[in-house]
Amino acid sequence: MSKKALVTGITGQDGSYLAELLLAKGYEVHGIIRRASSFNTQRLEHIYSDPHSPKHKLILHYGDLSDASGLSRLIAKIQPDEVYNLAAQSHVRVSFDAPEYTADIVGTGTIRLLEAIREVGLKPRFYQASSSEMYGKVMEVPQTETTPFYPRSPYACAKVYSYWITVNYRESYGLHASNGILFNHESPRRGETFVTRKITRAVAAIKLGRQDKLFLGNIDSKRDWGFAKEYVEAMWLMLQQPEPDDYVIATGETHSVREFLEVSFGHLGLDWKKHVEIDPRYYRPAEVDLLIGDPSKAKKKLGWVPKVTFTELAKLMVDADLKDLQDQLAGKVAHSE
Amino acid sequence: MPRALITGITGQDGSYLTELLLEKGYEVHGMVRRTSSLERSRLVHLYRDSKIYGQRLFLHYADLDDPTTMRRVLMTVEPDELYHLAGQSHVGLSFEIPESTCDLTAMGTLRLLEMVQDMRKKPRFFHAASSEIFGQPAQMPQDENTPFAPVNPYGCAKTFAAHMVTIYRKTFGHFAVNGIMYNHESPRRGENFVTRKICRAAAAIQLGQQKDLLLGDTSAKRDWGYAPDYVRGMWLSLQHATAEDYIFATGKLHSVQDVVETAFAAMNLDWRQHVRKDNRLLRPAEPQRLQGNPAKARRLLNWEVSVTFKQMIEDMTKTEHAQLAGA
Repeated sequence: MSKKALVTGITGQDGSYLAELLLAKGYEVHGIIRRASSFNTQRLEHIYSDPHSPKHKLILHYGDLSDASGLSRLIAKIQPDEVYNLAAQSHVRVSFDAPEYTADIVGTGTIRLLEAIREVGLKPRFYQASSSEMYGKVMEVPQTETTPFYPRSPYACAKVYSYWITVNYRESYGLHASNGILFNHESPRRGETFVTRKITRAVAAIKLGRQDKLFLGNIDSKRDWGFAKEYVEAMWLMLQQPEPDDYVIATGETHSVREFLEVSFGHLGLDWKKHVEIDPRYYRPAEVDLLIGDPSKAKKKLGWVPKVTFTELAKLMVDADLKDLQDQLAGKVAHSE
Repeated sequence: MPRALITGITGQDGSYLTELLLEKGYEVHGMVRRTSSLERSRLVHLYRDSKIYGQRLFLHYADLDDPTTMRRVLMTVEPDELYHLAGQSHVGLSFEIPESTCDLTAMGTLRLLEMVQDMRKKPRFFHAASSEIFGQPAQMPQDENTPFAPVNPYGCAKTFAAHMVTIYRKTFGHFAVNGIMYNHESPRRGENFVTRKICRAAAAIQLGQQKDLLLGDTSAKRDWGYAPDYVRGMWLSLQHATAEDYIFATGKLHSVQDVVETAFAAMNLDWRQHVRKDNRLLRPAEPQRLQGNPAKARRLLNWEVSVTFKQMIEDMTKTEHAQLAGA
């Protein structure tokens, strides 16, 4: 019988890559999706099959991290071997506008899920999507698994809570629970309000004459950017280890938004300086410092090494957005692939 | 007359803080939850005093998970100082009700901060954080720079809340203080806390009302102070020119065993004849090594503790004895 995985946040960037990976490994994949009046499953369309087909291995359930009873019921029904908690209000700037909602889903949502698991009496392996944002005003450079946290946004505060409560359930109840402390990871499926994707979409639109200006916040902020598709492999690897643990997943390199602009505009022969304007509205109320992760532990214990470089990442994102827009303009159905 | 609003006013700290603020000439408002049993024993002496209740002390029904009511109370009272003491404050119980512990302790704090954000005249804000945010720290004693690393659901929720307080201070400039409170006890301590349980048992055994006492791990050590000293620290922290985080602690460690010996000795009893071990009372992940360094509070606020550990435990046991004998 194939293993069963439950993924929260399956409709997101990471969830969709993880679902692909798990399906390729023969898992039966269950995902929790929120009910919304507009479709929110674009990133899954290419792997979703007819529920009546015997080959149907991707099963979606309605649920929400704010709905504790629903979570208990789903876990009891699915009886997963592995649970990946990726769901979140994941936008840092938005967390200053909607802090209570962010804290409820990103923080309290994790304890609801852990409690649902404990209540049903199962011991699935548990993955918690922790974030480099927890380091915030960094206490050391680069950051490792032992660097203390100093969160600087409601989103980061909530992620710190979830990190500790995951450690606590591991230590108190012997749950195989691991934190992946993921640094920024991007892809053609990155949400459109995140800076990398905002840039690559604009580059495509400018190239095709559909747009002229691009408004950005602080282009000097630096991040450690990797390729999301590789990062979900690390999640899976963590749950295959004999012992649960916490891992930094990062490239170990840092680049500024400015550099990302240069590579992505340059890739289509454009000069970013002619198109980019600064809008202070996009500044965060509190910016994080130099986030660079040290992925040595993941390399040593999981054999995980990032391969796609910063430049390759920017280019592949521009290429995908260019193709998307061309398809759209040609009247073909387009979605981020 | 300065106005203060207290959440958790019916608790140990809330009641002492109320007394302190009344004494200092404040008008004191408190939020209370509706419960079917009128559990306000700690305030009853103030509540029944017609010169105080309804004149300088006011209670309002509200709950940390009822934002609309809470907002209305806050906007109506318009306090100069807001002391946020409410929370599910029992560590052991937080393993049984972790979700509501997070909701009340962390989300409740965030909801209050959000409301303050919308006020034209923002009150100074005190958040009662806890030494449990340090968990099992590598560094001993802990100070305001020690990293947080909680080991139980209560500690995780308090960490969450303390981080949020810091965000609102640093990002939005609120006068918001985290008081990192180490264990603090008194005759008004909740009856399911270990010091109170021991003192009460020693008194009851002395009066022949109880035979013996079941305890978990008695080797566990804590930094135990006296609650009235700690609420004075809360008030002092809001009178300081700048908003800071402070450790409130004695800096001294005593074991549960020390509590047992002191309490039973105060009743002229031999603890060996009455205390038995019960492994069911052990916590899943027992924090150790929590010892605070109160140097900053001493330096900036002139805060000092007024009683010793021994005096406090003796006082608690004798108070229990007087109560039980009278009952």
